[in-house]
Amino acid sequence: MTRSSLTLSSLTTSSLTRRLFLLAVLWIALALVVTGIILTDLFRIHAEAELGRRMAQHLDELAAVLEVTPDGGVALARDLSDPRFRRPLSGLYWRVDGPGKRVLRSRSLWDQALDLPADTLKDGEVHRHTLTGPNRAPLVAWERSLRLPGAAVPVRAAVIADASDVQAATAGFSRVLGLSLAILAAGLLAAAAVQVRLGLGPLRRMRKALADLRAGRTSRLEGAFPGEVQPVVDDLNLLMEENRAMVERARAQAADLAHALKTPLAVIANAAAAPGGTDPAVVAAEADRMRHQIERHLARARAAPALLHSPGGTVVLPVLRQIARTVARLHTERGIDIQVDGDVQARVRADPVDLQEMAGNLIDNAAKWCSAVVRVTAVAAGGGIVITVQDDGPGIPANRRSDVLARGARLDEAVPGTGLGLTITQELARLHGGSLNLEASQAGGLSVSLHLPQAAAAGK
Amino acid sequence: MRILLAEDDAALRRQLAEALGDAGYAVDMAPDGEEAAFLGVSEPYDAVVLDLGLPVRDGLSVLRAWRAAGITVPVLILTARGTWQEKVAGIDAGADDYLAKPFRMEELLARVRALIRRAGGLATAELRCGPVALDTRTGRVTLDGRPVALTAHEFKVLSYLMHHPGKVVSRTELTEHVYAQDFDRDSNTIEVFVGRLRRKLGGDLIRTVRGLGYRLEAAQ
Repeated sequence: MTRSSLTLSSLTTSSLTRRLFLLAVLWIALALVVTGIILTDLFRIHAEAELGRRMAQHLDELAAVLEVTPDGGVALARDLSDPRFRRPLSGLYWRVDGPGKRVLRSRSLWDQALDLPADTLKDGEVHRHTLTGPNRAPLVAWERSLRLPGAAVPVRAAVIADASDVQAATAGFSRVLGLSLAILAAGLLAAAAVQVRLGLGPLRRMRKALADLRAGRTSRLEGAFPGEVQPVVDDLNLLMEENRAMVERARAQAADLAHALKTPLAVIANAAAAPGGTDPAVVAAEADRMRHQIERHLARARAAPALLHSPGGTVVLPVLRQIARTVARLHTERGIDIQVDGDVQARVRADPVDLQEMAGNLIDNAAKWCSAVVRVTAVAAGGGIVITVQDDGPGIPANRRSDVLARGARLDEAVPGTGLGLTITQELARLHGGSLNLEASQAGGLSVSLHLPQAAAAGK
Repeated sequence: MRILLAEDDAALRRQLAEALGDAGYAVDMAPDGEEAAFLGVSEPYDAVVLDLGLPVRDGLSVLRAWRAAGITVPVLILTARGTWQEKVAGIDAGADDYLAKPFRMEELLARVRALIRRAGGLATAELRCGPVALDTRTGRVTLDGRPVALTAHEFKVLSYLMHHPGKVVSRTELTEHVYAQDFDRDSNTIEVFVGRLRRKLGGDLIRTVRGLGYRLEAAQ
């Protein structure tokens, strides 16, 4: 029983069905018990009021028929109209305390002495007492003080009724009410169970659809779902498609890389088998080609998954500073001054690792070619962020700039590096929905502008 | 000049050791991070070539441990981890230079040379002392512009002294920096090499400081 006991933790941790149903039980039980108590109480109050009204009439009649006898006592001029006053132990009685402790009682009291509690009343007041009568029955008495014409002292007149009738009626009502409410509760619980089951139906269907999907019977979550569930289903389908696209892209990239490596491998194999001995220059050139291919594919592969997971974007300036520090260290020999400046708020829609890669390639390239100074700026412009890296080196003539980007060509073999930095950065920028532009810098060198989409200011 | 080479790939380690040896360095090899860490604290190296993906203990953690222990030897990281994120991490851990695989041997040698020169506070690739010049790029030694032929050990002794001009260098220090760890050392041979260098380059170049060692002095 401990498992099914209605504790808070079972409410919060068990299944939705159980949770909803237990809440329904709780609420229905509470509502019906309160209803039962209120209705029973209303019934009792009404029954007692009715009894009180009738007894007031009896008391009025008793007052009307009382008269003073010539010997100074009191007597009834005639019997009261309700026959129950004359039937022994009928449950309806009267009593009058006259002057000189003389007491008149209804015949229905028979041999029972029924004493009223001591009380003093003003004229015209009606008091209500509860007392125990014949056969220990609960009695209620209504009493008033009367000043009869010709009498020296007031008399106490009382009518008394058996209250067990009211109690019995209330109990009977309560029983019937309880039964009705129990039936109502059963009906409501059945309705709640049906409602929970129907209401959660879409979730069960979704689970089945997911099972189908996992078993490979379908490629997406099929079917229409209610407005609350449909967005989740749509998102799941979208995620699935992105996943599939990613896997396909990865497969295509792996195939691409394999193809790209096969040609240089063939050349090396042929060179090794050449009759005149292997030409080292051929092997070196092909090794270079393979290295280019690998770096290019690696950069693309690294960028792809990150595109899906950069919700808040990346604040640009700290990354630029970090890269500038590292590049300066790598070029300590030449004592380069790398100045970083810009909009502190600038935030791009890209993973930090990708931004590091792009900025690293650009700043490192500028550091290789500059004569003393590299200037890096980041500003917001036209709904995006523009990162500009300028050097004071020899620059690239306008008509050769597109060559550098197109083939990853190196314009000068004397400066170490793979010559791929700008090409890889351009590819990364495109993957992020941005672009790369080459221009002449103010200092006469090269100015590279990296345009990237701006990230919405992070809410968290 | 003595170099620690921490690289786990046997083929690459052999190639590197050969190239560094040919360039006139005494080379100690460590195939894993644990051994590299130990050698780095126990032996006086002039430069370290450190792979990051080492077995037993990662290169970055070895480097951090050295820097935390106050060992300032110049370190060149040589690794297949070529992203900028990894370069930043390497430099922040205390590396002096970073070279990504695949690499050209000439580039590695140039960078090691530059590291050692920078550590000695020397600005140019050609070291001079009076009429004697040593080009660290080519390993050529000249006296008044005429090339002088030196044996490998003579070159090593001269190279170390020329990287520390004006400083008194003890025989023990010379021994430690001229021979690799597993070499059968004999500090008396240092005297032989110094004697031969004096014969080839002039007796004034290397002064003996009695009881302390040798000092390279530019002739007036």
